[in-house]
Amino acid sequence: MKNYWRVLGAVGAALVLAACGDSSQTAPAGSSTAPGTLAIDPPFRIASLDAATFAAELAASTTGAELLAVAGTPTCGVDFYYLKFWTVGALATETTESSGALMVPTGGSGCSGPRPIVLYAHGTNANQALNIADITNPSNTEGALIAAMFAAQGYIVVAPNYAGYDISTLGYHPFLNAAQQSGEMMDILKAGRTALPQTLAAATSDNGQLFVTGYSEGGHVAMATLRALQAAGATVTAAAPMSGPYALEAFGDALFFGSVDLGSTEFAPLLTTSYQHAYGNIYTATTDIYSPTYATGIATLLPSKTPIDTLFTEGLLPETALFDSTTPVVPGQAALTAALAVPDNPANPDTPLFQLGFGNPYLIVNDYRVSYAADAAADPDGAVPTATAGVPLAATAPTQTLRNALYVNDLRNGHWAPTAPTLLCGGDQDPTVFFSVNTETMAAFWPAQVAAGLITVLDVNAAPSGPFAKIQTGFIASQAALLAYYQSADGGGLSLAAAQAEVTENYHTNVAPFCSLAARSFFGNFAGVQQ
Amino acid sequence: MKIDTRLLIGAATLLCALPAAADDQVYDNSFRLGSLALFYHTSAADLEGPYVPAGVNFKAKDLETLYVGLVRRVSSAFDVELALGYPPLSKVEGRGPATVGSVPYNGEIVSSARWLSPTLFVEYKFLPESSKLRPYIGVGVNYTAFYDRDSTAQGNAGLGGPTRLSLTSSLGPAGTVGLGYNVSGHWHVYTSYSISRVDTNITADTDGIERSTRIKFGPQTWVVSGGYSF
Repeated sequence: MKNYWRVLGAVGAALVLAACGDSSQTAPAGSSTAPGTLAIDPPFRIASLDAATFAAELAASTTGAELLAVAGTPTCGVDFYYLKFWTVGALATETTESSGALMVPTGGSGCSGPRPIVLYAHGTNANQALNIADITNPSNTEGALIAAMFAAQGYIVVAPNYAGYDISTLGYHPFLNAAQQSGEMMDILKAGRTALPQTLAAATSDNGQLFVTGYSEGGHVAMATLRALQAAGATVTAAAPMSGPYALEAFGDALFFGSVDLGSTEFAPLLTTSYQHAYGNIYTATTDIYSPTYATGIATLLPSKTPIDTLFTEGLLPETALFDSTTPVVPGQAALTAALAVPDNPANPDTPLFQLGFGNPYLIVNDYRVSYAADAAADPDGAVPTATAGVPLAATAPTQTLRNALYVNDLRNGHWAPTAPTLLCGGDQDPTVFFSVNTETMAAFWPAQVAAGLITVLDVNAAPSGPFAKIQTGFIASQAALLAYYQSADGGGLSLAAAQAEVTENYHTNVAPFCSLAARSFFGNFAGVQQ
Repeated sequence: MKIDTRLLIGAATLLCALPAAADDQVYDNSFRLGSLALFYHTSAADLEGPYVPAGVNFKAKDLETLYVGLVRRVSSAFDVELALGYPPLSKVEGRGPATVGSVPYNGEIVSSARWLSPTLFVEYKFLPESSKLRPYIGVGVNYTAFYDRDSTAQGNAGLGGPTRLSLTSSLGPAGTVGLGYNVSGHWHVYTSYSISRVDTNITADTDGIERSTRIKFGPQTWVVSGGYSF
């Protein structure tokens, strides 16, 4: 019996050991919520693709194949990490977890070792669940774009999803809030640099070179980030804001005077919600701005987990009618009344586009439109409606609260100019973010830097010339091919006019890969990585 | 890790508390030592959770380990056996796509764990006690707990980073058939074939991303052992 108990004792000992034998591998969440701190360290790798597999996966879809044709064959594999980090919302008290991507090139020479970082800001996305790191999601086209364009060519890519998206519990998105969004970019950059040595691709490291870029909303964010990094004394190797609404006051004025851009009914709620959270004075009730048809719930409508097309079909948002087609009459102000009329100049090729912005039901009430326009007429922007030398902002801060918010976030603000080489890329027929009002206004605002070659302006739609001629040729050819496609049986056999309308609708999106290629080519002048 | 030690303590107490036969020519207790071949017969649903490609599955690799058995004679026809094994390090093989992304998966050893898996049998022995050869059958209950759970480097690569595995303990039925041979006096040799049912929920936590599935094992064990009765 004595031996019997000894054996049982051994079993008991084994049990005690077993109780202590839990797995030692953990992913502790940091206790600090300081901006730029990783919330999960090390970050989770969503996927690891070698160059051949990534190329094959892109080639498997039509859009992927088109991207591959522009971006070129991947020379590096890419590891896609899901960064979770801490940042703040529009107010310093709004601590929130945010997320984004760390894309790490992998492979042999030119793909591992010390590599430059591309800090990228994505364009407006109505999908609240957006995760730009999730390369396994076919709808994540912008994630695929930056992976193919930059990471697969040897750049480490860091890109936020933005506060208000994905896991963020902020409850709104600080849309076009220059201070918040540039701060979040700097936070994810810090988090990405912390995470990089701890990834499964630790053979790839930061070489200290930093390139800042972004598209559309992200173009504004990229430029604001360049300004913030410069102010913080950080080194930026080069920057390439693309198709961004940089001159926000001018852009807003153009829009309220009737030059309504495509996508404005999506941008308006994002913008007013963002600025209401930041400044608290945009409206007392949403009905101050929005028609009763849409006012209820609009402050929390976007971003949404419901597809935006569903929001349109459910009548929660008009597709294009930003303003009332019955335009306001402002007593005693004939010029202002005329300026608020539905555009009807047959000589302006954009007139049909602008007319789409008027209808019934409409999003923004006439009284609000008049209040904005009156302020713009009394204290005009330097670029809109009439450009002046140096295109300054309004002479004094606007009194209309939305216009003042645009003024505050206008990137002509802050008495600054880029000190790093900067490429401003876009397409001059862009119906969503007007090239002339934004990119050309900024170029006019910084004439000395443009003349010195520090700032390069590229219109991918212009007649091919100079170092980006191949890219311009490619873009123009792609537009022609798209037009032909929509007229073909596969594309629906549309009439020329209908096909042209489709091309116009997709113009802003189609510029993105070509400007991104131009940005990569531009960065290659300084990074010494493959272009 | 939570292990219900009450089960083992209860089993040991039961063994010692059972009445022994009064016959002086037989022995009340036996201690058996031998080799145990374990065939897992894994069946699992595909791993579910964020960022998991379709078809990612597992299979536990068969193995051999040390067998320890403690047997208490209840009567001439009935024994109670507590069957133990030295907790083996079970290796789990990836099954499914050849690669997850570009990381090799199918056939790779993705994780390992040790099992503490005691089984308590009540066994009926055929033929008289004086027989040299006595076949027996038994039914019982198996308790399985997992510890030393580790995702391998290959598992971490496939799942996306350092991964913490948790597996729930299992309580299930067991059955056995065997044959005992009385070599001489205190010494016997035995062979047996047993089957039990083990169900566990496995959760893989990779840097805060949780994926899970339910694995059913029908572990079958073949034991060859020597026994000493006292």
